[in-house]
Amino acid sequence: MIAEEPRLDPGRVTELARSLETELARLIVGQKELVRDTVITLIAGGHTLLEGVPGLGKTVLVRSLGQALKLSFARIQFTPDLMPADIVGTNVIREDKGRREFHYQAGPLFANLVLADEVNRATPKTQSALLEAMQERTVTVGTETRQLPVPFFVLATQNPIELEGTYPLPEAQLDRFFFKSLVPFPSQEELLEIARRTTGNTTPQLRPVADSASIVAAQQVAREVPIAEHVLAYAGRVIAATHPSRTELDSVKRYVRFGASPRGLQTLVLAGKVRALLEGRYNVAFDDLIAVAHPALRHRVFLRFEAEADDVTADQLIDEIVEKTDKSAA
Amino acid sequence: MRYLLHATLGACAWILGVVIVARFVPLEQALRVAAFGVPVAFAAVAVAWVAARPSPIGLMRTADLRLDLKERLSTAWERRLDGGPMDAALRQDALARAARVKLAAAYPVGLRRGELLLTAALAVAAMGLLLLPNPMDQLLAQRRADHIAQAQAAATIAAAQKKIAAASTPAAVDPQLQKILQDAKAKIAAAPDPRAALQTITPAEQQLLQLSDPQTPARASTAQNLANNLAATNAGRAASQALNASPSQGAQSLRDLASQLQSLSPQDRAQLAKALAAAALQAKDPTMAASLNQASTALESGDMTAAAIALNDLAGELDSLQQQENNDQQIAAAINGLEAARLQLASQADRDAAQSTSGTATGSPSAGASGGGSGTGTGNPNGNGQGNGTDSGNGNGNGSGSGSGGSGGQGSSGSGAGQGSAAQSTERVYVPAAPLPGQSENDPAPLGPGQDVPLTPYTQVIQAYEQTALDAANQSLIPGSERDLIRAYFSSLGESGAGR
Repeated sequence: MIAEEPRLDPGRVTELARSLETELARLIVGQKELVRDTVITLIAGGHTLLEGVPGLGKTVLVRSLGQALKLSFARIQFTPDLMPADIVGTNVIREDKGRREFHYQAGPLFANLVLADEVNRATPKTQSALLEAMQERTVTVGTETRQLPVPFFVLATQNPIELEGTYPLPEAQLDRFFFKSLVPFPSQEELLEIARRTTGNTTPQLRPVADSASIVAAQQVAREVPIAEHVLAYAGRVIAATHPSRTELDSVKRYVRFGASPRGLQTLVLAGKVRALLEGRYNVAFDDLIAVAHPALRHRVFLRFEAEADDVTADQLIDEIVEKTDKSAA
Repeated sequence: MRYLLHATLGACAWILGVVIVARFVPLEQALRVAAFGVPVAFAAVAVAWVAARPSPIGLMRTADLRLDLKERLSTAWERRLDGGPMDAALRQDALARAARVKLAAAYPVGLRRGELLLTAALAVAAMGLLLLPNPMDQLLAQRRADHIAQAQAAATIAAAQKKIAAASTPAAVDPQLQKILQDAKAKIAAAPDPRAALQTITPAEQQLLQLSDPQTPARASTAQNLANNLAATNAGRAASQALNASPSQGAQSLRDLASQLQSLSPQDRAQLAKALAAAALQAKDPTMAASLNQASTALESGDMTAAAIALNDLAGELDSLQQQENNDQQIAAAINGLEAARLQLASQADRDAAQSTSGTATGSPSAGASGGGSGTGTGNPNGNGQGNGTDSGNGNGNGSGSGSGGSGGQGSSGSGAGQGSAAQSTERVYVPAAPLPGQSENDPAPLGPGQDVPLTPYTQVIQAYEQTALDAANQSLIPGSERDLIRAYFSSLGESGAGR
């Protein structure tokens, strides 16, 4: 079988990703894991849900990404009165030479990078419009379906506090996010560094390291990274182990209501492939899967009330699952 | 390496097991059986290794995990035949990484200390038991001697068969003789021990004796009387000489005489008739007596034709006698062969009996006697043995033997066997006999009912009794079958004594 030649050398993808991470690090203090997860999601062609309190640099991250990639950027602040037409666009009447006709006015979703800030504050109707656009990469207004730009990367945020008056994303909607990344509070040193960088007269300007074409090519290359059967089987066992009915772990049986969907497996494997490339490898290793297990699965493992009562988090359960799942089994 | 250790452990365990079993069960060729287990153990472990050895992809996975190669080797191996866009780069990357690490480190030779120590312990134990004397060796040696004795006895019978077959004058009973000897030889070879083999000889001899005609002695006596009577006549002197030579020559001479009756003088005829009449009177065989009477009567009455017919009949009887004598010679040769085999078997059976009744006696008898000159040589070997029984107490015994000298040669050295009866329970059986020299003073022999006959423990004198009886049997013309009875009697006494 003669496979199609990759449009980009795998080494170039690694180089691109490293350059991107390096460039972002000029503005983003710390948050290496967050940056790595964001880059992986971008190259995998997915979308990220960021969870963290306000003021931790989520917007800066997306804006910086746009600068470093020479991609268009849009920010949407989700509020309860935000309507679907506000994000996907609407038909407006325009008079041209005495003739009135409907003209499509594109919404902010028509950008390569979209920051959906506090997505859980919008009504389910608006959330659904966003998530449909994320999934289909098209928007339909009236009877006309329009293609969103390529690449299309949504970075949605939600605040884990102040849940009054919010509309938590339903499980099916959460599943559409490739990663769910947690934005941790910076360490003391990072805090000081943030202060140093942002309270002066100058702000570092990022230089573009790639364009949209490079990102699309990198997305194609990432999917060609081989994965051995036993590594793939391990990923399958990890996903199966998140299900209370198919696991042998007592903690999963006790605390998990629903396990990860097949989309979770797709995410795990694809993210593993991207991470392998970022690590300069041409194959997926167990370590890749383990490294991406938290962001790939934490929003796909739905916990029972007992977990909240016992202060057990999805990450703790995922740690136990990846640790106790046998790597040597055929 | 680990599998080699498994194989060594298995081999050592097998050898030790065989060596231990060989100390309780008489095991022929124990060393060969033990050595046989070594290649078997290694072969079994080799088969297990082949069955359990990891596949190439398994080896790759192990190397990946142990050398932290991040699944490079296993993925490259799995896709070794694929031609995807990244496969070439993947293979190069995997090879480059593998070249930097020591692949042997992924498969360390992990010998378990416990298994190693166990193997060494088994090897030392097996070696130690191999070097220590085995109590079964004596029994095995006895069995080998039994087999040799039986083989020799069978060979002796085979030699007798050959001798009979090569005889210059074949006898009518030769096929039957050969069959009886062949059966006896097969039974002796198949017998479990010489004592059982001995029991096949007497029936064979009885079968041989049944082939002999009981009238032969009577006919031979009649022929001898006829020769004696004819010796005093002119006409029958030649026939007398011929009869003395052999019955067949005598028969021919009588036929000649019958053809010459017409030419004899009346005095010679009367003299011949008188001699024939006298022979008829002395004849013990009725048929020959009748022929002699007819010949005598016909000569007296001048009927030469009837006399010739009677003499020819008598010649026929003599021919028959010649054939019977031939048969008897062959039968005797066969019996001699059987007797020679009997002697060989009896000798070994005696040795076996001596060893079995010696119990745990540790004394070794000495034998040394010689006879000189012609006649009978005798020897008196003696030996003393002492043994400890399983019960409390001590036992002692002595042995004696005698050797019979060959005719006209030197007396053979006597055979002696030390006999020590293991101490038994406190019950003892005493028989009237003088106390033996070795009897302990603090174990004084009691006196018998008459207070004047000393009593000796039965076990101390049974061997002497047996030897005396066998010596007497050997020195007398006692048939072998009867000597077997004597031997069996003492053997049964020995067994019952040992049982007590």
